[in-house]
Amino acid sequence: MVAPNPRFCSAPPPPGIPVVGRLHHLINSCDILEREKEQKMSQSFSNNCNSFNTTYINPTDADGRSNILAWLSPLDPKLRHQDIRNRRIESVGEWVLQTEEFRSWCAGSEDGKSDNAVLFSYGNPGVGKTYIR
Amino acid sequence: MEIRVLAKLTLGNTNGLEGEEGKRQVLTAHGISSLVIDNLYRRARGRNATIACFYFDFAAQSEQSSVSILSCLLKQLVFGLEEIPEEISEAYEDRKRAMGGQGLEISDILNMLQITTARKRAFICIDALDECATEHRVKLLDSLSQLLQHSPGTRIFVTGRPHIVPEIGKRLVGRVESIYIIPKRDDIVTYLRSRLAADTIPDAMDSTLEEDILKKIPSDISEMYVEAMALGKLA
Repeated sequence: MVAPNPRFCSAPPPPGIPVVGRLHHLINSCDILEREKEQKMSQSFSNNCNSFNTTYINPTDADGRSNILAWLSPLDPKLRHQDIRNRRIESVGEWVLQTEEFRSWCAGSEDGKSDNAVLFSYGNPGVGKTYIR
Repeated sequence: MEIRVLAKLTLGNTNGLEGEEGKRQVLTAHGISSLVIDNLYRRARGRNATIACFYFDFAAQSEQSSVSILSCLLKQLVFGLEEIPEEISEAYEDRKRAMGGQGLEISDILNMLQITTARKRAFICIDALDECATEHRVKLLDSLSQLLQHSPGTRIFVTGRPHIVPEIGKRLVGRVESIYIIPKRDDIVTYLRSRLAADTIPDAMDSTLEEDILKKIPSDISEMYVEAMALGKLA
């Protein structure tokens, strides 16, 4: 149990959940900083994309090249990637990249092995809903 | 915000949460996809590799046919080559003269994918495959299987819900390794720290409160996961 801090709890906290009162404004106040961070990350990503976009283009056939790419597909998954990337918290989930499964999947193509060319990561987005109310 | 809301976000369960709150979660399959894609791009710099990704979305199912998905992947892989393969430029010129439209079929796209993946090692990332309409999912998986027969060095990363495990196993038989994605205790602590660290009123937090939050919430959540696993709710 944490004793209620008189500076932030004008009313006694509800029984059983002592940190609620102080968490309340604390977490709300996180939002502004988090938004600023998202903007920065977004900016950084579009800079990266720009460098990808210009790396391989030969100025003499740039038009032909982009016409062909546009003909192949009008879709651009970059925006969705950027959106999802912005919601990610740094270093969360990094353990996946350290797993033996991921490492051997990545390296597999370098030594010409044909086994396990596919790595399937599965999880349930609705997890826990029965347990938290 | 209440603790139960924080816990919901931590668990990745955004049911009943609106707006920005509903978007922030500890760890999602989408998050893993974007993490992997960024990691591959970093590794690919200066190396002989080309990368393509596709994010499925229930809301856009009607635009996400097997042909449009495969051609979107092809476009990105071709983009990663220094030069567009002659076969693809020729196909473009032919179609432009003949039809005025794209007119590509799965077999054409597969052929071009084989040509492209022969030039450079290819990494393909597909997010939320379970959100792809079933008929297109079957065609997509069969096409990828054919691609792997011709180009065994190609790597394919897929995320999705557990119920498509058998389907993937069947369509890509003998080629699939799996990882089960569940937030680790460290993920939960990092998430909570990042939210607490962003506090704009330093006085609101004292070390006792922070310690209590970082101790209490991850252990409660771990217990919930264990309980849910035991009841078979997660698999």
